[in-house]
Amino acid sequence: MNAPLAGKHGEAAFATLCDELRPDLFRFAFWLARDRSVAEDVVQEALLRAWRSRDSLTEVGAAKPWLLTIIRREHARLYERRRHVTVSVDELVGSESPELAAVEQQETLDVRRAIFALEDDYREPLVMQVLLGLSTQQIADQLGLTQSAVLTRLFRARQKLRRALGGTTEGEGE
Amino acid sequence: MMDCLEFRRQAGADPQHLGPEAREHAGACKQCAGHLAGLLALDERILAALQVPVPGTAAAPGRGGAAIAVLDRRRWMALAASIIGGVLVGTLLWVGGPRNSLAQDLIEHLDHEPEALVATNRPEKDTVLGKVLERGGIRLRPETPLVSYASSCRFRGHTVPHLVVQTTGGPVTVMVLRNERPAAPVHFDEQGFAGRIVPAGPGSIAVIGADGADLGEIAARVLAAVEWLDD
Repeated sequence: MNAPLAGKHGEAAFATLCDELRPDLFRFAFWLARDRSVAEDVVQEALLRAWRSRDSLTEVGAAKPWLLTIIRREHARLYERRRHVTVSVDELVGSESPELAAVEQQETLDVRRAIFALEDDYREPLVMQVLLGLSTQQIADQLGLTQSAVLTRLFRARQKLRRALGGTTEGEGE
Repeated sequence: MMDCLEFRRQAGADPQHLGPEAREHAGACKQCAGHLAGLLALDERILAALQVPVPGTAAAPGRGGAAIAVLDRRRWMALAASIIGGVLVGTLLWVGGPRNSLAQDLIEHLDHEPEALVATNRPEKDTVLGKVLERGGIRLRPETPLVSYASSCRFRGHTVPHLVVQTTGGPVTVMVLRNERPAAPVHFDEQGFAGRIVPAGPGSIAVIGADGADLGEIAARVLAAVEWLDD
């Protein structure tokens, strides 16, 4: 669909769009970086880049994947610049959760800890699917993978989480 | 017929969007139906865990202000000004223009499941329909048109019933949106779809058919047929 993204009205619509998508973008960046301050920096830089190149976005329907691509690139740039040190999952969860722990249930924190511990290859497509509602084909497009590879990663991601959370994965194959 | 191993592979990768064969298998195999229920419950827990508080929103713990302070304030303010200004004008355009983001999201969602929207006189399996309704917190009264497809779908961060009902005018999609409450009924007609989003119960019900379809009667029938259960 051609959406009203050209001219002054387009600027306003684009700004509204960014505002609506910002929570999803922040959470996506957070789960890429596993760090709130990095996520905030990534989203800020990504929105600035998106604003500068907004003319290249001609369809509102394409905005979300387009912005996710920018977030991923910005995260990769920032990651390169900062050369993050490796820290343990417990440190990551600990640095993230003190404020959250007071308001969130233990079960949510346990699941969050398990997601923190997932390898990037499994965590990223899972976040795209469950949090952002992307189809497996859209995830494949984002990650430059085949749809079949995405399905395998999603299957394994859930399998790993279920094991981490004490569930059984018998009868599922590998 | 799909076997249990193949079903579990498919369901483990995308439990929200099972194909017709997988749904048929779940309807016939108690163990796999239980497995699917477990996966859907896991997805709910994953979603809850992924929804970390967002800076600058009411639900977020108070790191936002401090974070902004260490950023390049001038660039931040420039962006904020453009966005805030845009929101004011954009909101007017949004309300008055032909575009509606909820409608767009609905159409985008339908694009993900094109196989669901087919004309048929074959009803959805009772077990599948029952689970979808239960998860959506609704019941259907007996006067409901024939439901040929039912799925619990992820939509805007919530699991919602996605149904296809058969009418004399062809198949029509019904999405029961407990968490979306438009101030007034919304009509849309775009991308080959016609739709109505009608406030109902605690949220709304969206009815979407082919371009040019007369949805008035079917929307009224669906509204009358849905019984909302308490959370």
